[in-house]
Amino acid sequence: MMKPIRNLFDAQRRHFAQGGKFERFHPLFEATESFFFIPGLSTQSDAHVRDSLDLKRFMSFVILALMPCLCFGIYNVGYQSLMASGKYPALLPAVISGLQTVLPLIIVSYTVGFFWEILFAIIRKKEISEGFLVTGLLFPLTLPPTIPLWQVAVGISFGVVIGKEVFGGTGRNILNPALCGRVFLFFAYPMRMSGDAVWTVVSDKTADALSGATPLAVAALTPSGETVETALTSANYPIETLCLGLYPGSVGATSVLACLIGATLLIVVGIASYRTIIGGVIGVLAVGYLLNLLASETSMAWLSLNPWHHLVMGGFAFGIIFMATDPVSSPGMNASKWIYGFAIGALTVLIRVFNPAYAEGVMLAIIFMNLFAPLLDYFVIWQRLRKRLANV
Amino acid sequence: MITVKTPKGCKLKIAGKPSLDLDRLATPASVAMLPARIPFVKPRLKVKIGDRVKIGTPLFEDKRRPAIQFGSPGGGVVDEICFGPRRIIKAIVIRLDDNEEHVQFTSLTAQDIEAATRDDLIKAMQDGGVWPFIKALPFRDIANPEEPVPGIFVNLGASEPFLPQSQVYLRNATDLFESGINLLRKLTPHVYVTRPPGKAPVVKALKHLITHTCKGAYPVDDPGVQLYHSKKSSDENRSWYIDGQDLLHLARFFETGRYPIERIMVSGGNLAHANKHFITRTGIPLATLGGCHDGQAAAGARFIVGGLFRGYTSEIDSYMGFYENALTLIAEGDEKEAFGFMRPGYGKPSSSNTFLSVYNPSDIKTDCGMHGERRACINCGFCVNVCPVDILPQFTYKCVRADEVEESLANGLLDCVECSLCTYVCPSKIELCARFKQAKEAYYKELT
Repeated sequence: MMKPIRNLFDAQRRHFAQGGKFERFHPLFEATESFFFIPGLSTQSDAHVRDSLDLKRFMSFVILALMPCLCFGIYNVGYQSLMASGKYPALLPAVISGLQTVLPLIIVSYTVGFFWEILFAIIRKKEISEGFLVTGLLFPLTLPPTIPLWQVAVGISFGVVIGKEVFGGTGRNILNPALCGRVFLFFAYPMRMSGDAVWTVVSDKTADALSGATPLAVAALTPSGETVETALTSANYPIETLCLGLYPGSVGATSVLACLIGATLLIVVGIASYRTIIGGVIGVLAVGYLLNLLASETSMAWLSLNPWHHLVMGGFAFGIIFMATDPVSSPGMNASKWIYGFAIGALTVLIRVFNPAYAEGVMLAIIFMNLFAPLLDYFVIWQRLRKRLANV
Repeated sequence: MITVKTPKGCKLKIAGKPSLDLDRLATPASVAMLPARIPFVKPRLKVKIGDRVKIGTPLFEDKRRPAIQFGSPGGGVVDEICFGPRRIIKAIVIRLDDNEEHVQFTSLTAQDIEAATRDDLIKAMQDGGVWPFIKALPFRDIANPEEPVPGIFVNLGASEPFLPQSQVYLRNATDLFESGINLLRKLTPHVYVTRPPGKAPVVKALKHLITHTCKGAYPVDDPGVQLYHSKKSSDENRSWYIDGQDLLHLARFFETGRYPIERIMVSGGNLAHANKHFITRTGIPLATLGGCHDGQAAAGARFIVGGLFRGYTSEIDSYMGFYENALTLIAEGDEKEAFGFMRPGYGKPSSSNTFLSVYNPSDIKTDCGMHGERRACINCGFCVNVCPVDILPQFTYKCVRADEVEESLANGLLDCVECSLCTYVCPSKIELCARFKQAKEAYYKELT
């Protein structure tokens, strides 16, 4: 079955080789070919044998782990849209409606992102790295479903070019490119990224549309004297709904359950660091309980919230599992991963509680800690090297 | 007794492991010495084509320390001297006589050795061409007798499964081994013997000599790893080491007064004609050592001399080098594989959990393929998990790339035991170990 494809590549190779008509596009040819075939290179120096794992498979696992989030996200977007339009949200119509909204976001994200990747690869005469496969899918999953497609294009362009390529491409970026794109959109087009109206696609404008506030918005607006838990329950967001994720929110980030399936896969195969994830959970709980101590009758309702709610609200689960564990922008040492995760969890809660301008804190917490990742590593490595007996 | 444990490392399930059986190989028509395969040596030839040589006649000496001689692996006529680029001497080939003659060196009994001075012994070993068996960490050059010796590690292990196993070459040789140890004790009182992982019966007879034991996978029994995990101060960094089999050669040299040519070699790999140990002699043609069946090598086989991780690629018409006792034949692995990255991979060897092969209990056929393309480092940290001497390869690599010598050294560059496990596991296919070796070599050249 593969023979005709093999022959096609072999026949076309000369055009892309040195001196060929499309010499400049060699990275594109190479990327396409290596998608179909692992290149037959053999080892040139020591370690005559090599592990079968390569970066393509490494990144494929992240995509695989994102599938539950993506599938649930599609269903949820459709479900919320039908609900808001006052229609009965049966499974099939919900999925179809969700696909209509989500697919264009993903297609635009991949197309525009790959355009930049290919452009930079051609200019640099380097291979196209697999890192973007993940970025291109992560980015749309963090967006509100109503985002205009041109903003998706602008956001992914910013994420890829400023977040990654100006630093030298995959492996050399300081910030997580997908998150970088989202942060840009958040500050550049706040109207489309926050508020109550952006989280549900309302197709039927004439109908008596009801678009709901997100659980975080509900929590933030709870008057003092009332508890967030009751406010959430009366807004129809009991903790089961929050775990399952059937509520208006970012495309793929609402379901804690789907995120956990992905996290299990990533941890079992050893691609995401469980240290970052557990560190993050500990951070949220620690700061959450600390705030509980400050709470009094008259203080704001946030302070007395049971911290487990922080774990299941908003994009924390998605962020800590898929964004914070990006190996490039997170620290490399095990000890620094614990600190990094803890700080992300702690900052997430602090931003949510004390900064009324930003309902969601996890995005800013991760971007902020991205900047500190090299510093954390610096100190951890320094500590470690001090114990080494010198050999010079 | 010191126990060295490396919790790290990776289990290597590579098919074609040689058995412990031992066979004798017939004497070949010619043998060779490969000066280019001896690291750091600058050879000055002492013979020319057509010269008659005996076993042990010096073929060349090291220009850096002319006292160090390299003896002929056979008696006969110098048939050919092959030069490579920049006049490196690739091989000195000797056509063997039917009745080979020996150079007679002085033989010493145990009492003689006890009575001899350290300098006399060193002189005898250098003249006899057996001194180069003793090497010095961390650069793994031939030991310099003028430098102080913090200790000598005797390596009995071969946790890389494709090297000769000590339980084979120590059979009937425990007395010889003990006299070798006594010899080393004349050089330094600190002689360390590492018991290989596993339960080899022969090694039990040497129990009273064992100072180090080890638990773990390749390369836990490497002298560099042993030193790293047992050293008390930086003074021990320049310890010497010798392979267990080479120690037997040293002892045999003094016992017989002849240059020792007998070797126990091993042929392995799933494409090898025979996967077992052989009694043979140094410098034999590769084709003789189980590489061929009826004069034909298996198609697409790569000839690896000296082990899968530290060896070098050789041609079928080449010879075994001075130090090398292992030949491994596995497939070149240069075939393209369709949709390779999304296959479940029950038969794909990997140290990660990303293939179903983690559930495969048997050894897996392995080839020399890269199984992917070179990419930038993504700081996944897989290399840190396998490094036996706690180096952070991904960060050290960056220091090395930036020519930050001080920082590289602080990161433990010289502790690197050149096991290549970091290169093996890297999903970005970065040649970490090769780069470290280069950096060590460059630093060494600056020192000397």
